[in-house]
Amino acid sequence: MGSLFSALDSASQSLQAFERAMDVTQNDVTNANSPGYANQVPELISQDFQTDTGVNAGGVQELTQDTRSSYADTAVQQQLSLQGMYQQLQTSLAPLQNVFDVSSSSPIPSALNQLFQSFSQWSTDPGNSNYQSAVMDAAQATAQAINQSAVQLSQIQTSTNQDIQSTVTEINQDAAQIQTYNEQIAQNPTPDAGLSAQLENTLENLSGLANIQVVSGIGGQVTVLLGGQTALVEGNQVNAIQAVNDTASNAGNPGAAPTISIEDSNGNDITSQVTSGSLAGLLSVSNTLLPSLIGGGQQVGGLNTLAQGLADSVNNLLEQGTTSTTPPYAAGTALFTYNAAVPAGIAGSFAVSSTITGSQLAAGSPGPPYSVNGTALTLAGLDSTAAGPVDGQGFTQYFGSLTSAVGYAASNASTEATAQSQLVAQAQSLQQQVQGVSLDQEAIQLVQFQSSYQAASKVVTVIDDTLQTLMTMIPT
Amino acid sequence: MENATEYGDARECLQAARVSMRQVKRLLAQPSVDTADESAALLRDVEVQLGCVAAILRQSAPKPDAGMRQGIEELQSEVAVLAAFFAGADKMLSGWLDAVRSRRGGYTERGQSAPLMLVGKLSVEG
Repeated sequence: MGSLFSALDSASQSLQAFERAMDVTQNDVTNANSPGYANQVPELISQDFQTDTGVNAGGVQELTQDTRSSYADTAVQQQLSLQGMYQQLQTSLAPLQNVFDVSSSSPIPSALNQLFQSFSQWSTDPGNSNYQSAVMDAAQATAQAINQSAVQLSQIQTSTNQDIQSTVTEINQDAAQIQTYNEQIAQNPTPDAGLSAQLENTLENLSGLANIQVVSGIGGQVTVLLGGQTALVEGNQVNAIQAVNDTASNAGNPGAAPTISIEDSNGNDITSQVTSGSLAGLLSVSNTLLPSLIGGGQQVGGLNTLAQGLADSVNNLLEQGTTSTTPPYAAGTALFTYNAAVPAGIAGSFAVSSTITGSQLAAGSPGPPYSVNGTALTLAGLDSTAAGPVDGQGFTQYFGSLTSAVGYAASNASTEATAQSQLVAQAQSLQQQVQGVSLDQEAIQLVQFQSSYQAASKVVTVIDDTLQTLMTMIPT
Repeated sequence: MENATEYGDARECLQAARVSMRQVKRLLAQPSVDTADESAALLRDVEVQLGCVAAILRQSAPKPDAGMRQGIEELQSEVAVLAAFFAGADKMLSGWLDAVRSRRGGYTERGQSAPLMLVGKLSVEG
């Protein structure tokens, strides 16, 4: 009788295995559109026939296999990280492009143009009070344009730093969520496709925020490493990171914003480990690009350099000039003021001197020989002198180089963000295509893609060269 | 308008190149080995079409043409995106293949992923 019960038991187990297999198929159909869901494959394994006891005689055992490819998941996560970084750069650089606008109607180039035109007009009739007033008005407009840009950059800096804080908070929230999933996996070691999908979804969101590496452990629990080095999640433990102002970074540079550092849960500086994701994009803007424009860390900033260069050049000429028409020649007065004690705040403190009036503008050059409009003429040509007053460039040209740097960064971010969006789609599509296939099939597919893309890439290089040639052939 | 007559053919070639480029973008949005091959073929078409533009311009004495320059600039932007895409794709696929290689064949003595040996199955009879 024992063998009969064994046979019945075995038959019953087989039926249950087939039923579970049907459930898995149903689960796949139901979750086909769930984000992060990977198909499961019911694997039916025949069991050994045990002649002595009859236990597990024949029949089948069912194991559920997740078809997720960890390499595919890693590829998607890496592409999401890069996409996160470039999209963030694109977003953060948009307001900067408004400040550093290439068009001649943007505030600073327009004000500089007016200022040098007013000097030119004044040089034709130095005693004309209308022309003197025009110089004072243009100087005022220039100061306002520079001040306004400094305020805008300061606002962008504040907003970027707030974004860094909120991104770090989001990273820690995702890490906490992953830790919760790890706990659930530990409590119930049976593979749960729904939980696996939720975990994958959270990992993908986290990948967009920072470059992470995911190591799968026994039973499906994951360890999440930031930059491949700092453990954010280890089993049931979360190690939160934080963004802090590095107060030592701007020592000796008054007015400069401190750089932002990312610290691990032990207070170690791990900023250099953040190389992609939106956090990397924000750190790049806050710690590199903005300091080069408005000062930060040990940098004075391009806008401050421009303001100081303009003030010093104009003031030097005016102070060497004279308002007298006969000897003894009285020295002229400075037009602009700024707070020299705060180098990284010069653009903010840049102003027209409150003590000067139009009639005190020194148009004459004492010489010898004396020239009634020598200084005014030199001022009119100051922006276009061969050896420019700011880093060897004229003021408008120098502003143009700042604009060009911002424009290049924005254009590059836009190109890369578009390409990355396609690469994410590519990685996600490949992730779907390699689900459930053998490693060999996966490799064959990847090699085919790679060879097709390498061929296309060579053609793209030729096309790029041809386009450059065409641009040189058509005159502007 | 005199330029329109003078560069009519060159403009048509440029327009054809832009149409092909749009098709490439559309194909790359639906990744598969077939669409990848088709994209490569279309890019070769773009190369020929731009070669045609260059040949026509060489034979004439080009005059300033803002429209054509703008068309070329737009193509340059699209090519920049494609170049970034292919560079990124190559990096991604290389990394992925490395992972598959090491899983499939382990590592060499130098610690690199073992070469991938994709040998077809043989059936020997007799």
